[in-house]
Amino acid sequence: MDETVAEFIKRTILKIPMNELTTILKAWDFLSENQLQTVNFRQRKESVVQHLIHLCEEKRASLNDAALLDIIYTQFHQHQKVWDVFQMSKGPGEDVDLFDMKQFKNSFKKILQRALKNVTVSFRETEENAIWIRIAWGTQYTKPNQYKPTYVVYYPQTPYAFKSSSTLRRNTPLLGQALTIASKHHQIVKMDLRSRYLDSLKAIVFKQYNQTFETHNSTTPLQERSLGLDINMDSRIIHENKVEKERVQRITQETFGDYSQPQLEFAQYKLETKFKSDLNGSILAEREEPLRCLIKFSSPHLLEALKSLAPAGIADAPLSPLLTCIPNKRKNYFKIRDK
Amino acid sequence: MEQANPLRPDGESKGGVLAHLERLETQVSRSRKQSEELQSLQAQEGALGTKIHKLRHLRDELRAALWHRRGNVKACIANVEPNRTVEVNEEEALEEKLENVKAVLQAYHFTGLSGKLTSRGVCVCINTAFEGNLLDSYFVDLVIQKPLRIHHHSVPVFIPLEEIAAKYLQTNIQHFLFSLCEYLNAYSGRKYQADRLQSDFAALLTGPLQRNPLCNLLSFTYKLDPGGQSFLFCARLLYKDLTATLPTDVTVTCQGGEALSTSWEEQRASHETLFCTKPLHQVFASFARREKLDESGLLIDCFHCTGNTSAK
Repeated sequence: MDETVAEFIKRTILKIPMNELTTILKAWDFLSENQLQTVNFRQRKESVVQHLIHLCEEKRASLNDAALLDIIYTQFHQHQKVWDVFQMSKGPGEDVDLFDMKQFKNSFKKILQRALKNVTVSFRETEENAIWIRIAWGTQYTKPNQYKPTYVVYYPQTPYAFKSSSTLRRNTPLLGQALTIASKHHQIVKMDLRSRYLDSLKAIVFKQYNQTFETHNSTTPLQERSLGLDINMDSRIIHENKVEKERVQRITQETFGDYSQPQLEFAQYKLETKFKSDLNGSILAEREEPLRCLIKFSSPHLLEALKSLAPAGIADAPLSPLLTCIPNKRKNYFKIRDK
Repeated sequence: MEQANPLRPDGESKGGVLAHLERLETQVSRSRKQSEELQSLQAQEGALGTKIHKLRHLRDELRAALWHRRGNVKACIANVEPNRTVEVNEEEALEEKLENVKAVLQAYHFTGLSGKLTSRGVCVCINTAFEGNLLDSYFVDLVIQKPLRIHHHSVPVFIPLEEIAAKYLQTNIQHFLFSLCEYLNAYSGRKYQADRLQSDFAALLTGPLQRNPLCNLLSFTYKLDPGGQSFLFCARLLYKDLTATLPTDVTVTCQGGEALSTSWEEQRASHETLFCTKPLHQVFASFARREKLDESGLLIDCFHCTGNTSAK
């Protein structure tokens, strides 16, 4: 086994927390049951890693096997990457998409290998009809850097792909081209949507964040749940603004629904608008050029935070449509100009 | 009762007689007790018996009263007797209606397309089926506004819902729903065939079944004889029509690439026809059946027959 491969596997295994180690090794399915049973996982991590490397050497792990382990690690730790969303389009009147996995993989690999001699491409299919692609980039003269790979998660027979944002931006156009051609599309466009939570991005892009439907089997219509306020808690307490509270609750429920919101960390608004003021004769009001400013809302769970603004009394209901349109428009980057 | 002390100095004979007398006395008193008990039991029995009679009598009286009442009630139906009877009938009628409606709504599921009004529009439920098997259900929640729009849905991402909506949703909602039904039923049918092939006929497949999300491209290698050494066939099925459950293009090749004898060539050609005309799992079921009645001569004759009947 190549020293670089051994080092790569070692560093990958060292990243894995001990409580996930057996699960990930089983998913990798490279070391056999018997081999894994010979390892004492209760030792210090360094000893466990040494033993595992030794076993990998016995089985002559290749670069591809190591890359596969890296993919699995990333699948378990998706939140460590920030994901961008790309949308492809076909020309008008295109044939039905007869996606052939083998053809796609071969085509994708060939395009990258023709452009850059040194590139490592690995694939892993998942049960949810997605294909994970890992690309380690090199140049005409240097070997691929295995420690800064790019990941692409593509959903065949849909126009969408998710890409981990990396610092090596110069390869993005080539990657886009390879993906477009291999999947028989014409164009690829980056959407204004970005997050660490791949599942939430998927839910937003495929519009699958609300999966409750009214049927005749459901015994009661979707109940309104109070958002943290129990108005009827004690009969000795009279809520003077009960009507208002109920109105706010109703509007919030109509806007955000009863389902759990997809998870985003921020929303960014780039404003290029002229200053508007009630006061006449203000200096800024006379300015011809639009003002430029950037507003960024950050939160561990932005949409849930927005949902709780009106019930908590911090904002008026209904909220600005610029905030509430985020899942619907599939964007969390906005550019706002004067009309 | 004190017992006579058998060691009294009156002598054995007296002790004997007295003791005997005492014994007789106790016997008598015991039997008197028993007869008293028996008498009291009999008395109790008698009392209970009369009680039973009384209760029975009471029951009969009440029953008679009830019949009488009912008779009255029925007699009063024609009259202007107040709401009590009408209420009872109305309630029964309403319950019956409710049961009927519930049953009808459930039955709608079997039509494949049903819906429920919501506060903002309608939630349509598409129940797919193939060959009489009820398969997955999909929902589309529509908001009735100008323009009509889809609020949310559970249609799989690779079904071209946006395309179908762009074509028909605003102009002809019926066409939209029927078109979507077509796509979903066809997808469910293709998926069902592929799943059945993988699960029921794994013995005849010599490698994994290659498929894609829409199940419109299937590629597999198979043999006719699960155990033995027959030729391996490679099949590639393309379903270019997404509203169909049968493939539009089928290619079957023999592995090895050697020149085939005419019988194998005929088989290969007949397989192509079979895949084009019959659902996938049925084709494999017929392969499995043929193997059962196989003697090699018989096999080729069967292929001739199939070739003829499936020629369309």
